Amino acid sequence: MRWLLARMGVLAALAGCLAAVGCTNNPYPAADRDKKVLYSSFQEAPKTLDPAVAYTTAEHVITGNVYDTLLEYHYLARPYRLIPGLATSVPMAQDLPDGRQAYRFQLRPGVLFHADPCFPPDVAGRRTREVTTADIAFALARIADPALNSPVIGSFAQIQGFADFSKRLVELRRSDRAFAALPAHEQYAKAGGIAGVLAHGRYELEIVLSQANAQILYWFAMPFTTPVAWEAVAAYDGKEGRDSFADHAVGTGPFRLALYEKQYRFILERNELWYGTMAANNDAPGAVFPTEIGPKDVAEGRIDPAYAGRRLPFVDRVTFHREREGIPQFDKLLQGYYDDGGIIKESFDAVIEGGRLSPAMQARGMRLDVTVEPSIFYVGFNMEDPVVGTPAGERGRKLRQAMSIAIDSRQYLELFLNGRGLPAQTLLPPEIFGYDSRYHNPFRQYDVEQARHILADAGYKNGIDRSTGDRLKLSFDTSATTAAANLQFEYLADAWRQIGLDIEINATTYNQFQDKVRRGAYQIFSWGWLADFPDPENFFFLLACENARSKSGGPNTASFCNAEFDSLYNQMKYLPNTPHRADLIRRLLAILERERPWIELYHLEEFVLSHAWLVNSRPMGISYPAYKYKDVRPRLRAQLQAEWNAPVRWPLYLVLFTILALTVPAVRTYYRERL
Amino acid sequence: MAAYLVRRMAYGLITLLGVLFLLFVLFFAVTDPDDIARKAVGERARPEVYAQWKTNHGYDKPLFINTSATGVGRFTETLLAEHYRRMLTFDFGRSDADDSPISRRLRDGAGPSLGLTVPLFVMGLLVSVVVALFVAFFRQTYIDRLVLVLCMLTMSVTSLLYIIAGQYFVGQLLRWFPISGFDPNPAVVARFLALPVLVGVVAGFGADTRLYRTIFLEEIGRDYVRTARAKGCGDARVMVRHVLRNALIPILTNVVVQIPFLFTGALLLESFFGIPGLGALTVEAIQGNDFSTLRTMVYLGALLFIAGQILTDISYALADPRVRLG
Repeated sequence: MRWLLARMGVLAALAGCLAAVGCTNNPYPAADRDKKVLYSSFQEAPKTLDPAVAYTTAEHVITGNVYDTLLEYHYLARPYRLIPGLATSVPMAQDLPDGRQAYRFQLRPGVLFHADPCFPPDVAGRRTREVTTADIAFALARIADPALNSPVIGSFAQIQGFADFSKRLVELRRSDRAFAALPAHEQYAKAGGIAGVLAHGRYELEIVLSQANAQILYWFAMPFTTPVAWEAVAAYDGKEGRDSFADHAVGTGPFRLALYEKQYRFILERNELWYGTMAANNDAPGAVFPTEIGPKDVAEGRIDPAYAGRRLPFVDRVTFHREREGIPQFDKLLQGYYDDGGIIKESFDAVIEGGRLSPAMQARGMRLDVTVEPSIFYVGFNMEDPVVGTPAGERGRKLRQAMSIAIDSRQYLELFLNGRGLPAQTLLPPEIFGYDSRYHNPFRQYDVEQARHILADAGYKNGIDRSTGDRLKLSFDTSATTAAANLQFEYLADAWRQIGLDIEINATTYNQFQDKVRRGAYQIFSWGWLADFPDPENFFFLLACENARSKSGGPNTASFCNAEFDSLYNQMKYLPNTPHRADLIRRLLAILERERPWIELYHLEEFVLSHAWLVNSRPMGISYPAYKYKDVRPRLRAQLQAEWNAPVRWPLYLVLFTILALTVPAVRTYYRERL
Repeated sequence: MAAYLVRRMAYGLITLLGVLFLLFVLFFAVTDPDDIARKAVGERARPEVYAQWKTNHGYDKPLFINTSATGVGRFTETLLAEHYRRMLTFDFGRSDADDSPISRRLRDGAGPSLGLTVPLFVMGLLVSVVVALFVAFFRQTYIDRLVLVLCMLTMSVTSLLYIIAGQYFVGQLLRWFPISGFDPNPAVVARFLALPVLVGVVAGFGADTRLYRTIFLEEIGRDYVRTARAKGCGDARVMVRHVLRNALIPILTNVVVQIPFLFTGALLLESFFGIPGLGALTVEAIQGNDFSTLRTMVYLGALLFIAGQILTDISYALADPRVRLG
């Protein structure tokens, strides 16, 4: 036994020493220490990288950096402004007969797809190909293809012949099996393409719209309309062990997807064939760092002015690791192993004090960026309901107004979101044309007494229906069943209970809730919207009658239908941002103020923490992460990481010592008694 | 032995067929193919997209009887028959959530899972057996009592707490290992696995050590131990050569049945430590309504359980010459 104990002791001591010497919490190989690598994390794995389908933020983190677009957003300018990307300029609208409109894009010559085995080798032995307008036409045809189920198929319906092309495809596939068996690009060619998408040579693309629509340009700043190589779609069909195009991105962007293990990590690497590296594109706005830098960005250390006019991108690699849980993700950010990230609710008070970074965070050189997202979170009424909706007439209107005044958005934000939101006065958030910071919606100023007064005017004094003598009972339908969500709904219900209403919360699964919405069997609901592009149309359409859930299954879940609103909306929706448009928006907002189909709660604010070594990081809000603009200082990062993460070894020695201190006397006593 | 094995495997096959039927009824009683399609492609998709998705994923057939087919086809061209065919031939199809081939996801996840569960299993077994042997040797001393108290303490705490405490104390405060993450790069993979293995060993320490201690104490009290001592055997020889060897049979019962489950990964550990193994895949399938992946994981779990039972019986016979299978 003494022999056994001696060996165990030696082994334990050896293991302890090894652990003490070798342990580190650095998750990255030492060889990457001085490299220009940007480290980021993600929680939800992307479902697809197919640019025609990818729609979530998790997906756009990749597609936004791997796929270039004809237009893009200026990195620093606010309000948001479009600049040329793959196009040489932002096209002007050309009016055509019959109210039609056309946009002509000039594509930069010499733009190449990422090197990929799907292409045959060119004369220089590179497996790539020049991008032509046919590749953008192919991308648009893919969006129109119903088999792909693109979430934005409706947004391109105004391109002339778009819907007809979809119908022709369906018909041909149904009637001709040989046609259905052809590769997608051959099917599209045989189906005749989209009438309003005209390729004039290799570098000029004309988009003809059936009616004027200035907002269509925003869609050409999203990865949906990126050039798509038919070779990649044909090669990566997901059959017989081949990759699927949904998992194999072949774009033209500043980064290429070097590794894609979507369940836990992906790596973007600098694309050496990017158009921005070519001398001919020295002045391309999307290939150099902007020269118009705001003094505030410089003063707050967000942007380094020395980068103005420098060629992009600055980092060689962007590495993403999956963190399923928020706590370890945030801890690793604080340890310096992620360059930037959000703030978790649990640590908010330790990081933010009085709306600013806490002294401890400031001492670490961290920076806080707060951006109001182009979003609106609201409570909606089913406007077809006989009690809360339009059929109830003036009574219903006053009931909605009273319920609107009874909600204190500021307190709601403090309680549930650490104050990370801006109380909403209308559905339009800041930075969107038509937003007026001086406007105060009279029905969004919290006042319980006023709410009671309006409720009494509606014939529900203290919540009692004067016609029946019963307390008014309303149903608040939700699709969230978690405890945290329940608390939020309880808060809203309590606010209405304060003015005398009897509110029943009906929490169901998402499917059951959708079913209720389909059947119109709901009264009050809570929902949110994050805009696709920075235009008021992208908010007002949520209340247009043509999009009413009850009529067309559209996104107007309140099923709000108001003839005056619809008329003004139709006049406003495709106009450029002129004083006339601003006037139309004011009139639209006045209708919503009075009718109250929604109670606008808040616009979400994004809080992003960045380390001192991350340069030129500015949250984009509407657009997609633009890693080509960001840079890192690897030496400073390595130095601070080492400083912050020196292992604390004494507890290990203490544990070893305690084990020895407890064991040795026992062993000695045992042998003394035995021998 | 061979006859026993054949009979045992036949029982196993019958059990498996029953499990498959239960699995089918449970999954399709909870939800129908239309619901699965709606969740996968979204609420606003067109009817032809739903139909296409259902065809691609093999959900376009009736559940039990196909009235539009004739002859045997009435029963073979159904979802039930397709379910049996796919599972028994290990053709698991594609994920309902992201369309990726399930067999590829299993292949990708098996490595990280085994990377975690094998060291966890070996270390856990080693630590528990060694400590149990040690306290059995020092039975009725303060060391024995101290370890027993420690065992009770570790058994009384949920494993979730070990994970959170491990990440906080070892990862964040002491900074010995990364808090979470995974990288298959051989240069760094060990540092990612160290903390989850440590947490797993501590979480399983109490129950296993108590069990093995009891087994060892029972063996120490037997006549052959006294005889060995009387013949002049040293303490180490008695404990390792006699007590440990004879205690192997009940230990095997506990251990061998766990071996097949090493392949299915550790649900909580993988999920919290961001290890892309099969345990995390299962959790994600539950969270993401990925029914096809979930069905596959439940089926593999049942298959491995049956395999574990057969392996345990065989290991009995190998470890103890007195046991005869037949």
